[in-house]
Parts: sequence; structure tokens; C-alpha cells
Amino acid sequence: MTTIALGATDIRKSYGPVLANQGISLSVGPGEIHAVVGENGAGKSTLMRVLQGIERPDSGHVTVMDRDVSFGGPADALAEGIGMVHQEFMLAPDLSLLENLVLGDEPVRWGRGALALIDWKSAEAQGRELAERIGIEVDWHRRAGAAPVHIQQFVEIIRLLRRGTRVLILDEPTAVLAPQQVNELFDLVRRIREDGTAILFISHKIGEVMSLADRVTVIRQGKIAFSAAIAETTGEEIASHIVDGAKPVTDEVKRGTPGKAVLEVTGLSAATVEKSHPLYDISFSVHAGEIVGLAGVAGNGQIELMEALSGLRRSIGRVELAGVDLSGLGADRRRAAGIGYVSPDRRQEGLAIEASIEENTIAGSHRSRPISNGLWLERSAMKRVALERLSRLSVKYGALHDRVGSLSGGNQQRVVFAREIAVSPQLLLVSQPTRGVDLNGIAAIHGILRDFRDAGGAVLLVSEELDELQVLSDRIMVMVRGRIVGTLGADADRREIGRLMVMEGAGA
Amino acid sequence: MIEQILASGVVLTTPILLAAIGGLVNRQAGIVNIALEGKMLSGAFVAIVISAATGSWLAATLAAALASTLIGWCFSLTITRLGANMITAGLGLNVLAAGAIGFLMSYAYGSSGTLRLPDVALLPHVFPQSVESVPLVGQLLANLDPLTILAVVAIAVLPFLLSATRFGLWIRATGNAAPVMRSVGLKPKLLQEASTAFAGFFAGLAGAQLALASIGIFNEGLTAGRGFIALAAFYFGRDRPWQTAAACLLFGLLDAAQIRMQTVGLPPRLIGALPYLMVLVALVVSQMRSLRRTQ
Repeated sequence: MTTIALGATDIRKSYGPVLANQGISLSVGPGEIHAVVGENGAGKSTLMRVLQGIERPDSGHVTVMDRDVSFGGPADALAEGIGMVHQEFMLAPDLSLLENLVLGDEPVRWGRGALALIDWKSAEAQGRELAERIGIEVDWHRRAGAAPVHIQQFVEIIRLLRRGTRVLILDEPTAVLAPQQVNELFDLVRRIREDGTAILFISHKIGEVMSLADRVTVIRQGKIAFSAAIAETTGEEIASHIVDGAKPVTDEVKRGTPGKAVLEVTGLSAATVEKSHPLYDISFSVHAGEIVGLAGVAGNGQIELMEALSGLRRSIGRVELAGVDLSGLGADRRRAAGIGYVSPDRRQEGLAIEASIEENTIAGSHRSRPISNGLWLERSAMKRVALERLSRLSVKYGALHDRVGSLSGGNQQRVVFAREIAVSPQLLLVSQPTRGVDLNGIAAIHGILRDFRDAGGAVLLVSEELDELQVLSDRIMVMVRGRIVGTLGADADRREIGRLMVMEGAGA
Repeated sequence: MIEQILASGVVLTTPILLAAIGGLVNRQAGIVNIALEGKMLSGAFVAIVISAATGSWLAATLAAALASTLIGWCFSLTITRLGANMITAGLGLNVLAAGAIGFLMSYAYGSSGTLRLPDVALLPHVFPQSVESVPLVGQLLANLDPLTILAVVAIAVLPFLLSATRFGLWIRATGNAAPVMRSVGLKPKLLQEASTAFAGFFAGLAGAQLALASIGIFNEGLTAGRGFIALAAFYFGRDRPWQTAAACLLFGLLDAAQIRMQTVGLPPRLIGALPYLMVLVALVVSQMRSLRRTQ
């Protein structure tokens, strides 16, 4: 009888001076769901990399099925039956789901080696059988990139099970799912548990941990801060251990008092690249002193709508900002008119990650006085403006000329906000503002958004975290397949929001 | 007239098609092979030298293919293992191949530009001369060489190879999402290397065909940009075998027509630019097509 399906004993791992794991021990048994929680940078991902054989620990050892093992690489961990479902799905988007299922372990009809003919019939039979066992339906011939996200996730889980995975590691699996899909996922995970599979569930959502896990371990600053059976603890207790005993900064829900319309969109449509949904006939408005949330399952056109409004994507239809027609204008003209943009992709689009903090803070203002005098940049003015902007949002940094990429996720995002808010826009388009930001950083960013709203600013907010939308927004619009399918008050039941998010037949 | 254009068009299509076959497999694995030109030239040079030395077209063709395979494999290592930029490395290889061949020609044979060797064995004709009496395609059949047949067979087999074999699936997965390959325990770099060696093999065959199809003389300008035309062909055909073959045939026929027109008295240099101009037009058209799809 196996007692430890996957275990870590006194794992230590450091990267230069950073002690990522300082003696972590935890284990998961067959048929058990063990949740691992902690803030970003607490050491969860390092531990997972060790358990998957991607990193070698400096000391300590890994146990699989009650045996000590030493992984030479990820292939060894895979051979031992350890499989991980990543946050970014590991499916090749242009291959079919069936091709993705068998990739790396193809059933063979004839021949051997690389030129062996793949037996697609038996591949499909295997896929169908596995899908049935965990209670889902899959159209195996669909292109993976065109399948809904939760199906992609399920296929990835099926792929691991097919290859004999006995320990399943799920890394923040619910981040991209709608509430109903989360329920489906949890049902599926519970069925897998019944088969005796051990499950490590990485999450930062305490509610999900409480409802799914059998056991929870909190990692803080590279050490185990807390570990208990779910039945013997509470959500509050877990939360307090995540943030070092201190009471976590909680968001006070405070609604705004909307004034006159700032953004008015009428009949906006935009074609998009084939991998997402085109926008179709979108009309809405955002008022001064109001945060409007845009909810939807990832990939239903929310990001595309933000890009269309900011001028980064071509669109037709009418866009007015405080009565001024901006239709057809490019991004620079729209910025000048008073639209600020916080990109969902901080590293590629939100910041010039290799450039300095100073340059990132003043970017966009470098073409006019006082920073530009028409010929060159005034270094002293640049420094003065940057310092002032950074202190306004209390960004923590070493020196102005440090790479912005050297800051933590939360401080990087504050730099983005410092830059966008400094030019006093009337409207902020904000996408995924707290992705990769730790708990206290999240509270600070929420504070920035509320302050902006309370000062009369209008905000359109996209987030995959429904909690975040409900805490911040005054109204929530739901988007499905490039259309807005409903608008609800911020206090609406999240099941109602979830129902709209997975509404079928909303598209053309 | 049509007969002749058809016949010489097919002869001119073959080297482009052979190179494009390798290039499209290579690109499906995620490597844009800009060095087809250099590998074709190396193949042609090796083919002439070995053909003169052994008197066997088969030995010469195999030697050309293997030499280019080796070059292709080494080339891929600079990209996969040393992190070279594939475009820069490819351009570098083209320059290196031309330079090294020029050096070898003057050092070993004391000739510059053109290499004439005695007893070069040319590619045989597959059918007896009597097929020339067949209407329309008679001349084409009479001129048919084994490498053209190989190219056609390869194009016919390729879709099956890519969709039904492990190797094909791995190649497509590598080009589409290399991290996925790694996550399922496969080695995408190895696949990229294999596909580049494959491209080298076919570029070598293309070179051998250029050198041994009719003249049996090596010239530094022998490939005349055909490696790049092949590149354009599989871009235009979006890496799909049949579409790529159609593009190659179009370029080959244009080339043949262009040679005909020169004899009619039109300015030869201007007409000579026609196939390259068509490549440009083809690329613009295909790009516009894909832009329209995304907007």
C-alpha cells in the first residue's frame, strides 16, 4: 500500500543570493488532493520545478511511490508518472485535439521508429474512452486552438492520464475558466481522485482550496508556513498564514457615483485574427466616476475590444470621448484626447522591460515640454517628472536608472499606472491589472483605480478574476464571442454572471 | 513552341521543386531555410566533381545529396545549439558556400568562374527517344530524368508522410509549438536538425539536377537565385505540398517562356528578370490574401 505518491523532503534551492526554497517538505498520497498556496514569489513554482525534474534541488530529496528518486530531467519525472497542467496550456494550437492527445506516445499501425504509421482509429478510441471515464465530451478533430479553453484543459489532463500519470499537478487551473467550468473541472478532478490519482493543486483562491482540497500547505518566503487538513482549518486561518500572520489587506467595497457619460460606443465592430472572436455591433457607455467591469471567459473578445478602443486595432462604428468623435483615429491621437491604456501584457506592451524605470515613467510625455525642448530631452526635467510621478503612486524602487524589469510585478504595474494617470486621462482602459501581482500589491492597485474613479475618472476594466470585477466595478458587462450579452449591477449573483459567460448561441 | 516550353519548363521546375520540398518540411518544423541557395550550389559542385571522377551519375547525385545533408545538419546546429539567428546564419552560409567553392575551383582546378571537367556523366533519360512522337508531351517525356520523377513522387508522398507518420506529426508539432514537444518528452531541437538535414538532402539533389541535367559544366552563377525562388514557392504555397508544387511549376514555366522570348529578340536582361519579378508579385499577392483573412 503506497502512502506517499509524491513527496518532497527538506528541499533547498537557491538562485544566487535568493533562497527560493529553504527546507520544504510536503507529500501527497494516492487519492488525495493537496492544495499548495502562497503569494507570487513565495517559492511555489520553484518547488514545482524541482518536483518535475526541471530544477535540481541544492539538497533534499524527492519521493515517488515511497521510493527516493533523482530526476535527471523532466522526461524522468514524466516516466515516474508525474504530470503537470500548466497555466499556459501545453497544446499545439494548429494540431487537432487528437493529434495533441497522442503526441509523444502515438499508437502505431505499422512499422517502427520515426516513420511508423500512426493508428488514428485506436487513438480516437482511446481518447473517447478516457473522456467518458472522466465524464466529458470532446470533439477530437477540432483544431486545438479553436476549442474552448476548458476543453483544452481537459484534453491536457486526459493526455497526462493516458500516459500513466499517477500524480497530477494543477497550476492555477481555474484562472481562465468561468464559474460553471470551474465546477466541471472540480467534478472531473474529484473523479480522477477516486481512481487513486494523487493531485497537487496550486491556487491562490482560498474558496476553491476549501471546496476541493483534502489538505492545504501554505508556503511563505521559501518555507512551510502552515499545513493542515481542510477539515481542521478555516479560510481565514489560511489567509492569515499567507500574509505572515498580519491581517490581509482587504478591499473595502465602495461604489462610485457616476456622472455624465465619458465614453460612448455605438455599433463598434472589428475583425480579428482567426484565433479569437471578431467584435460585433458593440454599444455601451462609461460615465465619469464609474468603473465598468468587462467579464468573460478568456478569449471572447475582451482584450480585442480594449485594443479597438485604444486605437491599437482597427474597427468600425462610433467611439466618442466626452462628446468628441474619435472614430478612425490611431492610438496616439486617442491618447492625446484623453484615453489611458493599461495593457494585459505588462512585459511586452505595458512596459519597455529592458529600459530604465525613469524612461518608462515618462514615456509618451517625451515629445512635449517640459521634457522635450524641441531638439533634445532635458535630462533634469525628465528626472523631476519621473520622481514626481513615482512618488505620487509610492512605487518602491532602487534607482531611477534601474531596469524596470528588475522590479516586482506589483511595482512594475504601479509604474504603468504612474505613467498613464500622470497625464490626467478622462478614461482608463485597464486589462488584467493584477495578474502576477502579490496580495498587498493587488490591494494597492485596486486603491489606485478607486482613487482615479473617485476623482471623476472613467474606467473600463477587464479581468479574468470575477472577484476582482465584483469588488471594483459599479456595473459588469458580460462578453461572449465578441458581443456584449448582458449588463448587471455589481452586486449581482456570481452564478448569474457565470450563466451569461457560458451562454451558448450568443455568437453569429 | 508550346511543346518546347512545356519540356524545358519541367526541366527548369525540377531543381526548384526539389529544393522547395526540403524547404517546406524545414519550415513546418519552424526553421526558415534561407540557405537553400548555398546548399544547391554545393550540391551542384560536388555532383560535377564526382561525376567526372567516377563516371556515374548515380554516385554523383548521391554524393551531392549527402554533402548538402551534412552542410545542412551543421548549419542547423548553429541555430539550435548555438542560438544563431536563422536568417543571419542562412545568409552567412550562402556567402560561405559561394566563397569556398570559388576558392576550391581556383586552388584545385586553377579555373575561375567556370569549371569544365572531362567525362562528366549526365543524368540519363528515363524513356527511350521514341516517346517523342507522343503529341504535346512527347518532348517532355523524352527529356524526363530520374530526379524529376523522384521530385514528383516525393510531392505525392509528402502529404501522407506529414499527416500519418510519427515523424510528420513531430515535425508539425515542433514548428507549431516547440515547448509542447518538450513537455511531452520529445526533443524539438533534434527534429529541427533532422528537418534541416532533410532540406539539405533535397537541396543537394536540386544542385545535382541543375549540374547534370543537360550541360555538365559547373558555373559559379549556376543556381541563379533558384534557392530563393524555392523559398518563395513554399511561402506562396503556405508549406502545403501540392500548392507549393504548383507554384514551382509556375516559376519553371515562366523561366522556360522567358528563355524562348529572348530568342524572339526582346531585351534578354529585362526578360530574364521576369521570373524574379513574378516571385515578388506572388509573395505580395499571398501576403495580401492572408492580410485580408485577418482583418
